Amino acid sequence: MSTPETGWRRVWRAGRIPGAVLIVLVVVAVLASLGDDQFPQGHMEPGSVDPEGGRALVETMREDRDVHVVRSAGDAEEALGEAGGDAVLTVFLDHRMEPGEVRTLADLEVDTVLVQPTLQTLGEFAPGVDMSGRTESDETLDAACDLPAAEAAGPADVAGEVYDAAPGQASTECYAAAAGSAVIQVEHGAATTTVVGTDHFMTNTELPDEGNAALAMNLMAAEDVVWLRPEPHVPEDSATLAELLPQGLRWAAVPLAAALVLLALWRGRRLGALVPESLPVVVRASETTEGRAGLYRSRRARDRAAAALRTGFLDRVSGKLGLRPDDPPETVVSALAARLGEDPAHVGALLYPDHPDPYAGGDEALNRLAEELDERSRRLR
Amino acid sequence: MVVTGRSVVLALLAVGAVLVSGQISPQVTAAALAVVAALLVLDVLLAASPRAMRLTREGDTSVRLGESAALSLVLHNPTRRTLRGRVRDAWPPSAHVEPRSAPAHVAGGERRRFGVTLAPTRRGDARAAGVTVRTIGPLGLAGRQRTLSAPWTVRVLPPFHSRRHLPGKLSRLRELEGQHTAMVRGQGSEFDSLRDYVRGDDVRSIDWRATARNDGVVVRTWRPERDRRILIVLDTGRTSAGRVGDTPRLDHSMDASLLLAALAGRAGDRVDFLAYDRRVRAQVRSGGKGSQIQQLVSAMAPLEAALVESDPAGMAGTVMAQGRSRKLVVLMTDLNAAALEESLLPRLPALTSQHLLLVASVRDPAVDAMAEERGTPEALYRAASAERTLAERRRVTSELRRMGAEVVDAGPEHIAPALADAYINLKAQGRL
Repeated sequence: MSTPETGWRRVWRAGRIPGAVLIVLVVVAVLASLGDDQFPQGHMEPGSVDPEGGRALVETMREDRDVHVVRSAGDAEEALGEAGGDAVLTVFLDHRMEPGEVRTLADLEVDTVLVQPTLQTLGEFAPGVDMSGRTESDETLDAACDLPAAEAAGPADVAGEVYDAAPGQASTECYAAAAGSAVIQVEHGAATTTVVGTDHFMTNTELPDEGNAALAMNLMAAEDVVWLRPEPHVPEDSATLAELLPQGLRWAAVPLAAALVLLALWRGRRLGALVPESLPVVVRASETTEGRAGLYRSRRARDRAAAALRTGFLDRVSGKLGLRPDDPPETVVSALAARLGEDPAHVGALLYPDHPDPYAGGDEALNRLAEELDERSRRLR
Repeated sequence: MVVTGRSVVLALLAVGAVLVSGQISPQVTAAALAVVAALLVLDVLLAASPRAMRLTREGDTSVRLGESAALSLVLHNPTRRTLRGRVRDAWPPSAHVEPRSAPAHVAGGERRRFGVTLAPTRRGDARAAGVTVRTIGPLGLAGRQRTLSAPWTVRVLPPFHSRRHLPGKLSRLRELEGQHTAMVRGQGSEFDSLRDYVRGDDVRSIDWRATARNDGVVVRTWRPERDRRILIVLDTGRTSAGRVGDTPRLDHSMDASLLLAALAGRAGDRVDFLAYDRRVRAQVRSGGKGSQIQQLVSAMAPLEAALVESDPAGMAGTVMAQGRSRKLVVLMTDLNAAALEESLLPRLPALTSQHLLLVASVRDPAVDAMAEERGTPEALYRAASAERTLAERRRVTSELRRMGAEVVDAGPEHIAPALADAYINLKAQGRL
């Protein structure tokens, strides 16, 4: 029986290699994760370097103005309050906001850029403006308007939703398409609201093309830019599944765990240790012969194979012909030829070939040699 | 400590109790766990101590391979508590012990006998690994377990399959001794007795001097020499580990050795035995006349082929050191050219000058079959390789014969009778 020391030593012996591998893996993982900046992901996410991220635009704007990235309407309100007079609010993904929040923001009456807004938001910020249709998204439109921001930027990839103002409403419409305009600016109290039908031209991929960058920069021309990309609302005060379960069911997990432990102990406890048995090494006695056959085959040692086949044949027949092992080849050949009634030259060529051996030229030739030898063995039997 | 299935059921009952408890479930949980734990501890404490049990064994100490040995284990419970539980008598897997474990119920102060049957499938010594006693408390929930030592060794002897050849060979031997009912004149060189001439007797064996003193013609009878010494040397080196058919070469050699020893014992010769690779593995010296088989079989039983190159020089030295009197040395080895040519052949003259050497080797039918393979190139290479092995074997054989040694080279089925025949022929020729 093993003492505790040898038991621990056995555990150490068995566990040290897996343990070392585990430690190496952890160290490598930690080293690999160092310096690996995790970029956030998402559509028009200001930190995202994805094709449809907004990092390029945000970083460019940060060169000459302050960009405040906010995640909720409340934060946006706060940021606008701190920003002072010259600020612009840019709203992405406004459908994530609740109607009350939209209304609160609209009531602030600051310059606002709405990117592909919902109709409800549109109604709050720019009453009278309506979505009038869509254009193909890969179309480049000309500015063709009086809006200085658009005029300076020139043609841009703003194709997307297009808008129309109600008749009689003062508005500046740019990038006209068949059904309406892709950029429309209206007065909103003391401020202006600019509605853009797409954020396509502001993404990392599209920003360098055409006048995209210039248009985006010009639309958000202010000291402070408040970049509102709301997070989806998490409903509060909702109970988790565990909380909905009856208390008895939750507490039953404790005795159930105990039952499982007992079950494992019951089934797992062995009636005494395993008995080892020292097994003798057993190999086939023909192992070396088979190994040599493999060597012959892998090296294509036909000459050696042919020589072995001939030796075997000669040993078999020499006894029947009354030959001695040390008889010279001529005696063997003449005795064999006489017995078989064959040409001695042929038998000689078969048994004592010239160099190179014609029967060692290929597997076919070797097979022929074996067949000829076998045939003569049968006749001599 | 052990637990039973009943303890799991108890814990599941606790789960049920907590499930229906409603608002007071934390308290019920604590109470249920406490009850379960208390019952388990109580049961463990009330179980009979397995450490106190006393074990004794009796039964067979040796068994021939292929037969089964009956043992019994007597468990004495000296405590006042009743032992309930199981007892397992652990043996190595190849011993095939039956039953593997048995339910036990032994009242305090009583003893009970457990029968155990071993049907070993491997030769050698099977050693009992220990007896595990598991005692369960009166509630049947939990208990204690302990493995106790109860040493016992069953020696598994070589099967001696070639026994069936013994009657036939013995009758040949009797022919030699002139005792055969067919009245064939005994051969041999040792004078046995005088008897009346019977028609058919060889006229050359007539003792004229005795005939002159008698009424009828008297012939001398001869009998083979008796009290010759035979030394069987078993090579236990690496070449003996090779499996020929399903059995290692060593076991075939043992079988043949046993037949030879049995035959020689009946013929009145003394048989010594030596197992050698690089050192003496086993040795049996004949004390006197009579059968040595039991001693031999028991010496062979634990032998296993060692994975070392044999040292024929040391083997020859050991043989020479066993005495200068002439004997028949039967060397059971493999006719392996590489192994024999380097070390045995140079030592051979010294050995053969003093003793008669007979080399016996088990021939592998697989190699013979390989030499017959034809068809694919692969088969041809195999055939060529086998031919090479066979040629080397023939070379070693002729070399040994040239140096005056006898060689017996036969397949696993025929090695034992072939060796016996070789012995009988040597005896008939008076060469012992």
